[in-house]
Amino acid sequence: MADNKVIICCKCKKELIPKKVYFKYLGHSFFTDILKCPDCGEVFIPEELVKGRMAEVEMQLEDK
Amino acid sequence: MVLEMEKFKEKIKTCLQNEPAFCTAACPFHLDIHDFMPKMQRGGFNAAYRTYLNTVGFPGIVSELCHEPCKNVCPRRLKDEAIAMKHLEKAAIKYARDLNPNSYNLAPKNKKIAIIGAGISGLGCALRLASKKYNVTVFERTDRIGGHLWDVLPPEVFLADIERQFMHEKYTLNLNTEITSLDELDFDAIYVATGKGGTDFGLKPDPEGAFASDKPGVFMGGELCGRNIIEALADGLQAINAIERYIKTGNMNQPKAKDKTEILINTDLISYMKPVLPDEGEVFTQENALYEAKRCLRCSCDACVRHCDLMSYYGKYPKRIGEEVEITVNPGTLDGNGTVATRLISTCNQCGLCKGICPQEIDTGDFLLQSHRAMRGKGAMPWAFHDFWLQDMEFTNSEAAGMCKLPKGFDKSRYVFFPGCQLGASDPWYVIESYRFLREKNPDTALILGCCGAPAEWAGDEQLHEAAVAKLREDWISLGKPIAVFACPTCRQMFRKYLPEIEGIFLYNLMSELGIKPSPRVNGDTVSVFDPCTTREEPELQHVIREIAEKAGFSLEPLPYEGKYAKCCSWGGQVSIANPSFAREVVKARISQNSNPYITYCINCRDIFDAAKKPVYHILDIIFGSHDKDQMLPTITQRRSNRINLKHKLLSEFWRDEAIMEQKESRIKLLITPELRQKLHKEMILETDIETVIEHCESTGRKVQIPESGHFFGHLQIGKMTYWVEYLPEDGKFNLINAYCHRMSIEEA
Repeated sequence: MADNKVIICCKCKKELIPKKVYFKYLGHSFFTDILKCPDCGEVFIPEELVKGRMAEVEMQLEDK
Repeated sequence: MVLEMEKFKEKIKTCLQNEPAFCTAACPFHLDIHDFMPKMQRGGFNAAYRTYLNTVGFPGIVSELCHEPCKNVCPRRLKDEAIAMKHLEKAAIKYARDLNPNSYNLAPKNKKIAIIGAGISGLGCALRLASKKYNVTVFERTDRIGGHLWDVLPPEVFLADIERQFMHEKYTLNLNTEITSLDELDFDAIYVATGKGGTDFGLKPDPEGAFASDKPGVFMGGELCGRNIIEALADGLQAINAIERYIKTGNMNQPKAKDKTEILINTDLISYMKPVLPDEGEVFTQENALYEAKRCLRCSCDACVRHCDLMSYYGKYPKRIGEEVEITVNPGTLDGNGTVATRLISTCNQCGLCKGICPQEIDTGDFLLQSHRAMRGKGAMPWAFHDFWLQDMEFTNSEAAGMCKLPKGFDKSRYVFFPGCQLGASDPWYVIESYRFLREKNPDTALILGCCGAPAEWAGDEQLHEAAVAKLREDWISLGKPIAVFACPTCRQMFRKYLPEIEGIFLYNLMSELGIKPSPRVNGDTVSVFDPCTTREEPELQHVIREIAEKAGFSLEPLPYEGKYAKCCSWGGQVSIANPSFAREVVKARISQNSNPYITYCINCRDIFDAAKKPVYHILDIIFGSHDKDQMLPTITQRRSNRINLKHKLLSEFWRDEAIMEQKESRIKLLITPELRQKLHKEMILETDIETVIEHCESTGRKVQIPESGHFFGHLQIGKMTYWVEYLPEDGKFNLINAYCHRMSIEEA
């Protein structure tokens, strides 16, 4: 859907670029590269990632 | 909790999981039906024959002579007819590919064993010992082997079988050799099987060990010891365990095999299956054998794994669950690795069937509830499993949806109607009609719109649960301690458990007492009453529901699981977030019990079945007749707005001058397609939360845009969940393109 498309931060008018973003779930912390505004840090996570890898990790941590 | 766990551990010791089947216990050879029958059931005649051969030694002889003690204990005999084991055994022989025994290449053992008597018992013992490569010598008084077999079977039958089974084995046979004294024998062990009326050499059986005599190293069995011919063979085959123990340890204390079982089978739950007669003469065709094998229940004490949805889904017995839960609650490592049962603990519907069907009354459900509490208490239970429902509970009790009121002009009431959280959420009409009826009959009937505390109980949140219960108690006292009228069986159960001081009655029982005339149906459709699991111990209610349904003109057909065996619709325990696939399987199993429409009297059962496209009525649909109810099930968002509307409508109809309620206007206007609305519903995303996210994006400017489509994306963590929206502003409204959410939180600087 939003794959390979230019995504602009509405505040800074900058294009989002992949940058390290930290996540936390059930006391575990981890990071991955996510589209992020180089200035203000606004992020974008597409549904494919949420339903795919993120849901997988969530499930693994719940079952850990 | 520790105490509860210990209690469960003690109780689990009484579990009968490993007890043998009735037939296995009664069988002189203890033929393992769990090994033999699955092979027969899948048409694996050769494999089944191998099992049979290994168990009975001489299949040709046993399949002719066995007196089938299994038939006297088979539970099928109480329903239709005992399994025809002998026919099945003969079929295994007839259709097996290879009848010859295996040849084992073992090193010879330098132990000499004498067997006195070449009857079936002695030969059985010789066969087993020879195949283990002991040095075996058989002494026979007469000039032929077989003993008593000559009187009961044609020699060509038993001699052929004996010859075949010994085809790979060697032993020394001394015919015409009568042993008069054991002292003349120089052997490591002796088995005396001289047959009925044969010499016993003055030996006496030693009750301390199987087949043991009072003389060290000398064993006895078979018809000499009063056994019949089949038991005699079994003795010979089994005596080698005692003999080997003696050879290895010098002890004669081999435990006797158990010929009893403790298991109990509930014959109520056995369905009738017509017994099979052989199509061709004396022997089953392959089809006959398959059918007859499938009649076998493969008895074991497995009522729990057969009937409990959780145990059957995981294929785990209470003992295994106990072990896995224990290491989950008390993990061996600091980082909590190996907490294998977190999801399992959260998958229990809390329906209580496990205890009800267990002959030892092992209450695995209660154990899982205690474990859930322990996990929650430690903060080790993933919040997402119950977060939605705990928030829903909070909403139910909030100013917007909850209330506790006496009718105007009364300072106390005889009854208080407690419809529960979901009846009005499904359709306010149910609650309004019911309350109107109750007020007509008893104008002082009060009303509580609130939660019974079940979501907190199921989430293992003891604090929240205690607070909910305390609030209910306070409300009840403020109304003058009325009798509570329940529409929801779960509420009733919760009150019974935690508020036993509150007298209660079911709405439907009260309606029936006060007199109702359900709108009659002329067509007399056949339906089945689906008893909610929480009514398992409410036979009166179950009866009243059936009466009402019959009065309305329905003919009723029973379901396999009803009455005291009623099973959960999947709602119980609110497990569908923790284990969606389990919940789906449960629903599927419940609705496919038969093809009739169901009548139920728990709104959650009704709505869940309706969502799965099963034709279903709530008993109130029958009582109040048809109404212009929206055919579409409400979404989770609508279920909340329905509760707000319910309060509003009740206030305006029954407390007119207090009906000034502030209707909260939505801050922003959302445009959502019906498809997207269903998606949000399925993913348990509230439209009100979506509004909050868009509002946040718009007011803070924190959003991103794809220039190509113009779509805006933004996110916000509400509570613990993070919601994403994709939208397009349109004439002061917001066209929602998509929304999704995740549990992990983004660590934003």
